[in-house]
Amino acid sequence: MRPLTDQEMKVVLDKLANYMSDLKSLIAPLEDGDRYVFRLNHNRVYYVKLSLANLATCVGRDALLSLGTCLGKMTKSGKFRLHITALPILARGARHKIWVKENGAQPFLYGSNIVKAHVGRWSEDCPEHQGCVVYSMADIPLGFGVTARSTTEARRLDPTGIVCFRQADCGEYLRDEDTLFAG
Amino acid sequence: MAPTRTVKNKHAAPKAGSKGGSGKKRSSTDGVSKSKSSKGKKPAISATEVKGRPNLPGLNKDKKKKLPVYTDKELGIPELNMITPVGVTKPRGKKKGKVFVDDRESMSTLLALVQAEKEGQIESKMMRARQLEEIREARRKEAEKKEAERRAELEQTKEAIRRKRKRGKKGTKDGQEEDEGESVKELAATGSKATKSKKKKVSFAED
Repeated sequence: MRPLTDQEMKVVLDKLANYMSDLKSLIAPLEDGDRYVFRLNHNRVYYVKLSLANLATCVGRDALLSLGTCLGKMTKSGKFRLHITALPILARGARHKIWVKENGAQPFLYGSNIVKAHVGRWSEDCPEHQGCVVYSMADIPLGFGVTARSTTEARRLDPTGIVCFRQADCGEYLRDEDTLFAG
Repeated sequence: MAPTRTVKNKHAAPKAGSKGGSGKKRSSTDGVSKSKSSKGKKPAISATEVKGRPNLPGLNKDKKKKLPVYTDKELGIPELNMITPVGVTKPRGKKKGKVFVDDRESMSTLLALVQAEKEGQIESKMMRARQLEEIREARRKEAEKKEAERRAELEQTKEAIRRKRKRGKKGTKDGQEEDEGESVKELAATGSKATKSKKKKVSFAED
């Protein structure tokens, strides 16, 4: 386990900035004087309290399965891929949001994109190909995706037109159970 | 020297041995060169002196010696005449290994940098989207206007045809036929209903 390098940190933050509006809250000092840090272990990036990270230094690299919140994984080409486990952090400071109706929640959780007919409401002034967090109508975060159309274009779209491409959904906790935390 | 020397070429050895001493002598006391130095050069020297150049015997030799010799660095030629792969040249004096970002200050500067960059990108995206939207709106309006004009024109022609028909009923039979011909042509052009033409056929059969 090690801290991220300059380049790695930039890639991770760049990806997070697609979905979040306020990044500074990520490293803001906590009330007890602690703070959150980013750690890398086996290509997976963890968002963890510094005190916990310091405790974990006594655990060997191979023996350490996971700690804190797994944000995602660094690919071999040096890019960063967000996992569904990062959803609570993304949902806290989401830049753009889409609320899906009851009839649209299940198709989304089974891994399909969001069509216009399933959208309950969406954030205004959302551009095309921008990260957005998907919520149910009861404000429960279900996953995240990338907008297929801008808000103005999406209004003119027919009901079967795709408005959001799925990136991750809560169904992955079951579907990708084997590979989500290791492998 | 002669007995210890090894001769590789049998044919070359006697030649060199026989002509070696005499050749040297010849070169030092060559008649032709003597004549050149004694006779031919003297008038030339005088000519140069007239022009005002100091005639030093060593000057020409110096010029020949001072042939510029450049090093590879001066010419800008790379040491290896090939592409140096990335990663082979490492800056000296730099520390080996990765540089981690863990302290709050560097993290916050990096955060601010990334956020500003992303904000700029999103803003430019939004601006572009708005501009495109404006253009689309303008085009839509233009198309609507054109459509309205076309409809108005169509209505006008329809009205004109109706008026003509009314006049034709009041007028003579020939006039009616002419009207019919015109109206059929126009109907074909505008692509209006076939029911009217049927009616006329019926009326023609009655006549």
